[in-house]
Amino acid sequence: MTGATTTSSRVAELRSEFDKSFSLPPSSQVVEQIENLLAIRVAGDPYAIRVQEISGLANNRKIVPLPSPIPELLGVASMRGGFLPVYNLEALLGYRPGTDPPRWLALCASNEPVGLAFAEFEGYLRIPLIQICAAEQRYAAHEPVKNVVRMAGMVRTVVSIPYMVEIIRKLCDDKRGLKER
Amino acid sequence: MWTFGRKIAAGFALAFLLLAGIGIVAYRGINSLANTSRLVTHTHEVLEHIANVLSLVQDAETGQRGYIITGDEAFLDPYQTGIASVPSVVKELRQLTADNPNQQKRIDEAEPLISAKLAELKQTIDLRRKGNLEEATKIVHRGEGKKFMDDLRGVMIQMEREERGLLAKRAEEVGAAASSAQSTIVWGTLICLLFVTAAGFYITRSLSGQITQAVRHVESSSSELQSAANQQASGAKESSTAMNEITTTISELLATSRQIAESARRVAHVAEDTSAAARAGDQTVQKTQESVSGIKRQVDLIVTHMLDLGKKSQQIGGILEIINELAEQTNILAINATIESAGAGEAGKRFSVVADEIRKLADRVSSSTKEIRTLIEEIRAAVNTTVMATEGGTKAVDLGARQFVEVTNALNQITALLGTTTEAAREIELSTKQQSTAVEQVNVAIANVAKAARETEVSSNQTLQTATQLSGLSRELTRLIQPTASA
Repeated sequence: MTGATTTSSRVAELRSEFDKSFSLPPSSQVVEQIENLLAIRVAGDPYAIRVQEISGLANNRKIVPLPSPIPELLGVASMRGGFLPVYNLEALLGYRPGTDPPRWLALCASNEPVGLAFAEFEGYLRIPLIQICAAEQRYAAHEPVKNVVRMAGMVRTVVSIPYMVEIIRKLCDDKRGLKER
Repeated sequence: MWTFGRKIAAGFALAFLLLAGIGIVAYRGINSLANTSRLVTHTHEVLEHIANVLSLVQDAETGQRGYIITGDEAFLDPYQTGIASVPSVVKELRQLTADNPNQQKRIDEAEPLISAKLAELKQTIDLRRKGNLEEATKIVHRGEGKKFMDDLRGVMIQMEREERGLLAKRAEEVGAAASSAQSTIVWGTLICLLFVTAAGFYITRSLSGQITQAVRHVESSSSELQSAANQQASGAKESSTAMNEITTTISELLATSRQIAESARRVAHVAEDTSAAARAGDQTVQKTQESVSGIKRQVDLIVTHMLDLGKKSQQIGGILEIINELAEQTNILAINATIESAGAGEAGKRFSVVADEIRKLADRVSSSTKEIRTLIEEIRAAVNTTVMATEGGTKAVDLGARQFVEVTNALNQITALLGTTTEAAREIELSTKQQSTAVEQVNVAIANVAKAARETEVSSNQTLQTATQLSGLSRELTRLIQPTASA
């Protein structure tokens, strides 16, 4: 009886919240003060990706491996009618790659289509900007880490996608330079 | 080993034999002396008769001569006495010498001479009476009478000489017999004394040794008897005490037996009640068994429903996976729509709101599916647990059904056994009553035994006193036999 009551109240709450979101006009100020993040886990550690730095999210995409001198390159995958290279975010962040293939794939919002694969997607976060701060020295052990977000007593590292793209680009340039020499 | 009586008898027998030998020898010697003395007396009688014969003849001659000379009749008295006595004396002499042929022969010679002399005397006396003195004197002078007298005197002297010789010979025999008897008596007495002394010494020593040994045995035995009497007295006292305890115990046993009889009677009564209860229980068990069968059918139905429920929950889980997948895809689509709306500028803001709400709904669906998955897992676990518990219940019900059958059988056995128990309890009651009677008899017997034990105790004390006295007597006897040893 109590469980049924709780469920009914939750359904009513959801319906009310859903209707309320459409009844209020969109506020640009509020939108500007909120940062949209994707909560992920890399090698079991909590990370976050800014939604504005990616152009799409997919899962269970088939990644076709390619022979490459870059070990961080997992292969190529089809996305929105085209192919894009997929790099292992775990390897790019300096972790030793796991045995299981990453299931999630984030498309970087850059000029060159690049995909970053990771193992676990935890959810979509709307975090006030005030909770995002610069990373301390101990959290900035990796160069891509510039910010961290504190929430629910947990510190989540914010990965900079442009910086990751820059790293990939450098890797490619280095390998290409080695090949030309 | 010779006994005391045998040794003493042997000693006395030896002394008796020696004394008998000495007595026989002495008797024979005395008898020989008596015979010889009798023979000497006989010889003296013979000598007397010889002297009498000669004296009577001489008296007759003397009377004859006096008469012849004087003619006086008074002088004829010796003659008359002589002629009257001579025949009898000669006869007696012949009888006395009947064992001697030589003397008989001489008597035969003397008798004619006596007769001739007496005839000559009578002739002269007759002549003198007739007054014929001269003729009478002539006859005297012729000397015939003297010759007869001399011959007779010679014969008598021969007889006397022989008798004297016999007398000397018998005197020698008397001396030899007396000497022999004397020697026999002296030496026999000495030998007898020696033997008796030796036998007495030997018997005394032997008997002293044996008696001392026996007394020591008696002393030892009396000590042992004293010790045994002590033990017996102590044992009798303990027996008396034990008998008292046994009497008490038997009394308690008697009371217990009566209680057992009463308890057995109650047991029989209770067994009858229990038998009735067992029969009622049997009926109840049969009803319960039917109920258990119904429960078993219901439990089987529950198991079937629970298995169906498990299958349904599995199907729900499968559908939930699809919903979860759809929610995840919706979430991805909403995120992508949000990203796209952000790229659409101001026009995409409203779409962004919709996409955000869709993403929220997808999140909530996802979290709800997680909750539902958790609930379904719990349901499946509960179903599994319920199924297992129900299967366990089914098994328990089966086991219970079987056990009810066993209980029914057991109740039947209980009913039968209760009948046996009732009979046994009655038998126990009867037996216990008999046992009580027997125990009463045993109690009486034990009381008698206790009395006997007390009497035995008194008797043992008396035996102890007797053993003590016997020990004292043994020491006294030892002291009498061997004063030095006892000292």
